[in-house]
Amino acid sequence: MRAIIIDDERLARTELRKLLQDYPEVEVVDEAANADEGINKIDSLQPDLVFLDIQMPGKTGFDMLAELERAPHVIFTTAYDEYALKAFEVNALDYLLKPIEPKRLADAMQKLHVAEVKENHIVPENFNQSILTEVDQVFVKDGERCWFVKLSDIRLFESVGNYAKVFFGGNKPLILKSLNALEERLDPKTFFRANRKHIVNLRMIEKIEPYFNGGLLLELKGGEKIEVSRRQTVKFKEMMSL
Amino acid sequence: MYKAGESFNFELIFMAAMSRNARYWLFQIGGWGLFALINIFFAYSFEKLQTPEDQYMIFGRLLIFISAGIIFSHLMRYIIIGLGVLQKKLEIQLLNFILITLVFAFLASTLENLFLIQFDLQNKNEREFKDNFFLLVLSGAFSLFILFFIWNLIYFMYHFVTKSQKQQLDTLKLEALVKELELKTIKAHINPHFIFNSLNGIRALIDEDPNRARNAITELSNILRSSMQTDKLESVSLEKELNIVKDYLALENMRFEDRLRVEYEIDEDTLDQPVPPMMLQTLVENAIKHGISKQITGGKIKIVSDFKDSYHELAVQNTGKLVNGTAKGDGFGLPSTLNRLSLLYGEKARFSIKQLTTEIVEARVMLPVQMTI
Repeated sequence: MRAIIIDDERLARTELRKLLQDYPEVEVVDEAANADEGINKIDSLQPDLVFLDIQMPGKTGFDMLAELERAPHVIFTTAYDEYALKAFEVNALDYLLKPIEPKRLADAMQKLHVAEVKENHIVPENFNQSILTEVDQVFVKDGERCWFVKLSDIRLFESVGNYAKVFFGGNKPLILKSLNALEERLDPKTFFRANRKHIVNLRMIEKIEPYFNGGLLLELKGGEKIEVSRRQTVKFKEMMSL
Repeated sequence: MYKAGESFNFELIFMAAMSRNARYWLFQIGGWGLFALINIFFAYSFEKLQTPEDQYMIFGRLLIFISAGIIFSHLMRYIIIGLGVLQKKLEIQLLNFILITLVFAFLASTLENLFLIQFDLQNKNEREFKDNFFLLVLSGAFSLFILFFIWNLIYFMYHFVTKSQKQQLDTLKLEALVKELELKTIKAHINPHFIFNSLNGIRALIDEDPNRARNAITELSNILRSSMQTDKLESVSLEKELNIVKDYLALENMRFEDRLRVEYEIDEDTLDQPVPPMMLQTLVENAIKHGISKQITGGKIKIVSDFKDSYHELAVQNTGKLVNGTAKGDGFGLPSTLNRLSLLYGEKARFSIKQLTTEIVEARVMLPVQMTI
C-alpha cells in the first residue's frame, strides 16, 4: 500500500515515518509540506492512503480534500482540534492525535485492512482513471461540516447555479461543480442525466410512473420526485429494457 | 453582577450630568438652610420673635452668622483643593482638616463679630465683654468650629465614599478579568495546539537530536509553569517576560524550522521595566498564529523594546497581512490585552496594531516609564 504524509512540520513527518516502520505493508512514497504540494503529489503518485494534517499554512487539510476529484483513504493526524474531531467522528476512516499513540495507529491500520478487503470484493470494471465508479468516495465540505461519501450512497445531484446539490442520507450539501462536469466524470451505468437540472443514481429509484408529454416521473428512495424529459425517456427506456 | 454594574453606570451618568459645582452648592445651601430653619424654629418656640426688635435681632444675627459660614467654608474648600488634602495620607488628611477648621473658625468669627458690632446686633452677654474683642472672637469661634467641623466631616465623607465606590468598581472589573484569564490560561493563552505539536516534535527529536530534545522539554516546562501562575495582576520585569518569550519562540523554531526567523532589538536599560505578565507572550503568540503559520514560506518575527518620548515601547513585528487592513478583535488575545492595559494604566498606556509595510504587521504597546528606586 502506497502512502503519502502531508504535514507542515518536518519533525511530525519524521515521527510518523518512524512509527510506520512497524508496518512493512505501508510504503511511504512521498511527503508534502502544504496543501498545494499535497494535491500535486496525490495527482501524480495516486497513493492508496494519505496521512493528512488539518492545520496547515495556506489551505487546511479539508480544503485540500475538497479540491480532489477522488478522495483517497485518509487518516487525519492533528494535535488538537475539537471541531475537526466532531466533524469526523462519523465518517473519516480514522483520525490520530499527535503525539500518536502506537496502539491507536495499530487500530487505524486494522480499520484500513477491513476497508480494503470489503472493496476488493467489488472489482471495478472500468479502470479508466477519469471515470468515478460506485466504490470511489468523494470528500464533501459544506461550511463547517465535512463528509466522505461513497458514490453508491448518493441518490441525486441537483444543479443550483454553478453549484451542485448532493443528496445522500439526510444531507444535501453544495459542492462547487457544474452538472455537466459531473456527468462527464460519473459512470453512465449508474448515474443517469434525467433532465437539465438532475442526475439520478439508477440504483436508488423506488418507483417509475408515466408523466405528461410521454415523459416519466421517478421517485427516489429519499422521497424526491424527479421528472425525466421526453428526450431522455427514450434513452432511459433503451437502457432499462435490456 | 453585570446588572449591578449597569445600574451603577446610570448613577454615574446622572451624577456627571449634574456638574460637580452644582452638587457642591446644593449641599452648601441645603446644609446652611437647615441650620437657619432649626434656629428660627427654636426662636419661634421660645417666643423670641414677638417684637420687631427681637425679629431684627434674630434674623440679623442669623444672616451674619450664615453669611460668614458660607463665605468661609467656601474659601476653606479652595484651600482644601489647592493643598490637595484629599490626595494625602489618611492621618495627614485628618490633621489638615482639624487645622484648617480651626483657622477658618477664627477668621469667620472675627468677621462675624465685626459685623455684629457694626450693626449693633450683639446680645446681652456679648455687650458685657464689649471691651475684650479677643474673648468675643474666641467664643464665636467655638460654635463656628463645631459647624465647620461637621461641614468638613460631610465633605470628607462624601469624597471618601465616592472614591471607594469607584475603587470597588475597578477592583470588581479587575477581578472579573483575572478570573477570565485564569480560566482561559491553559485553553487559549497557551493554546493546546502548540503544546501537543511541541510534544510531538520533541518525540521526533529524541532520536534525531537528544540534546535539543532535552532543552525543548525545559522550555516547555517554563512556559507551562509561567502560564499557570494565577496572579495576573502583579507585574514582572521585562527580563523575566522575555525569557518566557524566548523559550516559546525556541519551541516554535523547533516546529517551524527555517520557516521562522526571530530577531530581537532590546534596549538593555528596559530590562528592569515592569510589564504585565504574559502580555508580550500573547502578542508574540498572535504574531505566530495569524502571521507566520499562515505563510507557506514562513517569515520573520522581530521584538523591539526601547524608550521613546518618556514611554516604554514594546513592539512585535511579523511577516503577514491584516485582513481588510484591521485586526480582528474577536479573539481572546487583543481584547484581553486592551482590557488589562486600561485597568492597570488607565489613559497612560497605548496600544495599536497596524500594517507597517506591505509585508509587515506591527503590534505596539506604549507603557508609562516606571522609575526604579
